[in-house]
Amino acid sequence: MAVTPSERTEANRLDRDIVQRCRRGEMGAFEELYKRFGSRLYTVAYRITGSAADAEDLVQDIFLQVYRRLDSYRGEAALGTWLHRLAVNACLDFVRSKQGRRQRVTETAEDLDALPAPAAGPWRADAALDRMDLERAVAQLPPSYRRAFMLHDVEGLEHHEIGEALGIAEGTSKSLLFKARARLRVVLRGRPGER
Amino acid sequence: MERHTSADPACARFAPLIHERVDGALGAGPQPDLDAHLASCAACRELLADLDAIRWTASEIPDFTPRPEVWASLSQRLASDLAARPRHFWSGTRVALAMAATLVVAVTASVWLLRSPAQAPVPQASAGSQEGAAAGVIQSNDDVVKDVDEHLRIADEHYVKAIAGLEQVVKSGEGSLDPALAATLQKNLGVIDQAITESREAIKTQPNSQLAQTSLFEALRQKVALLEDTVALINVMRKGDQAGAAKILGGLSKS
Repeated sequence: MAVTPSERTEANRLDRDIVQRCRRGEMGAFEELYKRFGSRLYTVAYRITGSAADAEDLVQDIFLQVYRRLDSYRGEAALGTWLHRLAVNACLDFVRSKQGRRQRVTETAEDLDALPAPAAGPWRADAALDRMDLERAVAQLPPSYRRAFMLHDVEGLEHHEIGEALGIAEGTSKSLLFKARARLRVVLRGRPGER
Repeated sequence: MERHTSADPACARFAPLIHERVDGALGAGPQPDLDAHLASCAACRELLADLDAIRWTASEIPDFTPRPEVWASLSQRLASDLAARPRHFWSGTRVALAMAATLVVAVTASVWLLRSPAQAPVPQASAGSQEGAAAGVIQSNDDVVKDVDEHLRIADEHYVKAIAGLEQVVKSGEGSLDPALAATLQKNLGVIDQAITESREAIKTQPNSQLAQTSLFEALRQKVALLEDTVALINVMRKGDQAGAAKILGGLSKS
């Protein structure tokens, strides 16, 4: 649903208020900040790292960073946008530091073997796409496809960032995304002809 | 005339461009060719519409909810950080906050867990089902929350009574202490009192703040500990036990 100008103004006012109170040192302000953005940032961390345990550690590190760097927030971007960017950077730093110890994600033969069967109830040409159907279809994607799709189309990361997160080339990220979308379309439409 | 099919080699060539267009990443160069192809190809128009729908719907996939333990742990780490940077939070109470940050009282930790039922990191439900689920959680935990509030009140009373008793003992024996030491102890008690007052103020404005509750009980605990040490110090001083006094003072300097 689109955000109306009055909703945006109210959100900006809330952002300014919570930031000011955090800077003043009000104890409840950080708790409020966490309640408002904790799930969002945890989800970003989970989708980038692919690990709930790492995401839990990271979301704590991110909020501590927020506390330490709140003075640098100028209000030029929405608070949520600023926090999201900070979280993405923290997660990419984390992934980079782990890169050497972890197997890189590649498009493997196993991925291709794991291509899902078409969904039982196809997405009709004249109907809107149901979110739950999409989620179910995403869950059926091979892991490398799924992560590329989630990071790009859901989290809004650029291909070079996905490349860093997954340890793959930018071009490979693009290729995985295109294949993921094409596969989703096949699953949702319930018919062959992947493109 | 529309003569293409999804298997057409021309369509296969345009497919990556359609993806780029959906992403708003298509350069000006291939745009006219793609437009011309789309005008004549129903299959590619359908692909474009489908990818747009997938992209749009993907933005509505909900977030995951972290387990409540994440905030419990974060609030402790935050308290430590706040203690290290007292100018930002509750300036003037740095000693009490430093002490508050070093230990977290078990009662408040359990309060957090009781207030926040364990949750697996599952996607948030849609608005309707979320409201229903939330209502169920609130109802089922209502008694638990009441119990917790009652335990907090009782614990607070316990501390206040203990402090009053100890203060009386300290007052009656203060003459046994070295005046400079008594002044230092008094000063530290004053700092802790300030932390208690500010914690109570914070709880008034944010009754459910675990951090404020933790800080209050830790400050109360610190006050009890300091008064107990002071009473012990008075006792050993009265007996002229210099070694015992040195031991207690050593413990005080570490807290």
